[in-house]
Amino acid sequence: MRYTSFTSYDIVLLAQGLGVSLALFLATTIIGLLLGSLWAVIRFYRVPVLTQIVTVFAELLKNSPVLVQLFLVFFGLPAFAKLNVTPVEAAVITLSGNTAAFVYVIAVSAIESIGRDQIEAARVFGLSRWQVLRHIIAPQAMAFAIGPLTGLLVNQLQVTSLISVIGVVDLTKIGNILNLRTLKPFVVWAMVGALYYVMAKLIAYGGATLEKRLRAHTAWKGL
Amino acid sequence: MISVRGVRKAFGAATVLDGIDLDVHSGEVVSILGSSGSGKSTLIRCMNGLEKLDAGCITIDDFDVSRPKELTEARKRSATVFQLFNLYPHMTAVQNIALAPVEVLKIPPKQAEADARALLESVGLSARADAFPSQLSGGQRQRVGICRALAMKPRYLLLDEITSALDPEMTSDVLAILAKLASDGTTMVFVTHEIEFARTISSRVVFLDKGQLVVDLPTAEFFAADGGMAKPRIAQFLSKMRKD
Ligand SMILES: Nc1ncnc2c1ncn2[C@@H]1O[C@H](COP(=O)(O)OP(=O)(O)OP(=O)(O)O)[C@@H](O)[C@H]1O
Ligand SMILES: [Mg+2]
Repeated sequence: MRYTSFTSYDIVLLAQGLGVSLALFLATTIIGLLLGSLWAVIRFYRVPVLTQIVTVFAELLKNSPVLVQLFLVFFGLPAFAKLNVTPVEAAVITLSGNTAAFVYVIAVSAIESIGRDQIEAARVFGLSRWQVLRHIIAPQAMAFAIGPLTGLLVNQLQVTSLISVIGVVDLTKIGNILNLRTLKPFVVWAMVGALYYVMAKLIAYGGATLEKRLRAHTAWKGL
Repeated sequence: MISVRGVRKAFGAATVLDGIDLDVHSGEVVSILGSSGSGKSTLIRCMNGLEKLDAGCITIDDFDVSRPKELTEARKRSATVFQLFNLYPHMTAVQNIALAPVEVLKIPPKQAEADARALLESVGLSARADAFPSQLSGGQRQRVGICRALAMKPRYLLLDEITSALDPEMTSDVLAILAKLASDGTTMVFVTHEIEFARTISSRVVFLDKGQLVVDLPTAEFFAADGGMAKPRIAQFLSKMRKD
């Protein structure tokens, strides 16, 4: 067997890379969704000071390249604050923040799409702000946001591939390793690409299924 | 008792309510008449705590709506039916009605749902109980709106032009329900342009003009030639409303 040929162990490597990419994606998605929604709620209730901080922070995150943010966290934090971050930590911090910024934008417009009059009605019937959030705002905002969110998450999955540059052994990094060893870039990158494709399709499918369920009340059968 | 004392409300430079005094006692049906822009809706919104008062005080059974701690209690005692229904679009008719009883009055969900179905039945809507608002006609939506208010077993019903978005046929359906509530002794404050209806069901009529409560009379006196009608402003208003 030649050094450059594929071995069955390569499948294990690919599976490992896939696992790392997926785990990072899931973790940063969950953190990003929670953070971004929290920021949107802060803005909805116009919480003094916090609203301004959130707005500026989201602006900065949205309008700078993820790669630059990643370098800032990975190289910048140790130099500036003497905080040592591992590549995985840097990846989690950066991707969560980035996802949160875009979730925030989507959540804000989703919340604003809800008629003020129903919120007033719920308040007049004695529901607390929290109950209004839970029973009136959240379900409708989710139905509104699920489409754009699915698009965002499919994109954020691709963005995870950037973290390979700081040494996280994700799917892209494994692709790199296999490519250097086998010298078959077309085969390797096609395979890696196909794996990302399948994951992206699964996310899109999950989003579409959820959307159908959340939007039962606006079921639009077409003209 | 609902008690409105010296209430002032301005939006920017425009004074919309200018020193309103009004008492509504248990069992009364008080109609609020007045031309467009006279401040009727704003008065209702002040009563249910949606607008901050600039001066004066509103209490519902002695709970001051301007005090956040007392507002919840005040709101438990009064319920509002809105001109444009303001239903929750993501919930079915039953869910719309049962939400506040479960969340605010802490009625068990099963019980609240059964109550909601019974209310819908009483307004002839049992077949549409599980429909979403978007699947209901305007008149049906407003009947759900009324059931949503009644489910709170309120002592006071606040109704702001609840038939003005409906066509005449649906209007008479909804008015029939109100007439029944009135004869059952429900206390109501009700803003309307349906002069004849106001005349038949209300015990008192008040007239708002440019943010001031210019007349507050028992119904018969309000419509009597030597009562409210003696005031040119009201005679003019009534003759205009009757023409439309
Ligand atoms: N949120 C607001 N901001 C500014 N002005 C307002 C606001 N709400 C009401 N107004 C003004 O206050 C005045 C009274 O409005 P209101 O809705 O109470 O009148 P109304 O008597 O209910 O009239 P209609 O019969 O047309 O419903 C109007 O001139 C209106 O433009
Ligand atoms: Mg009005």
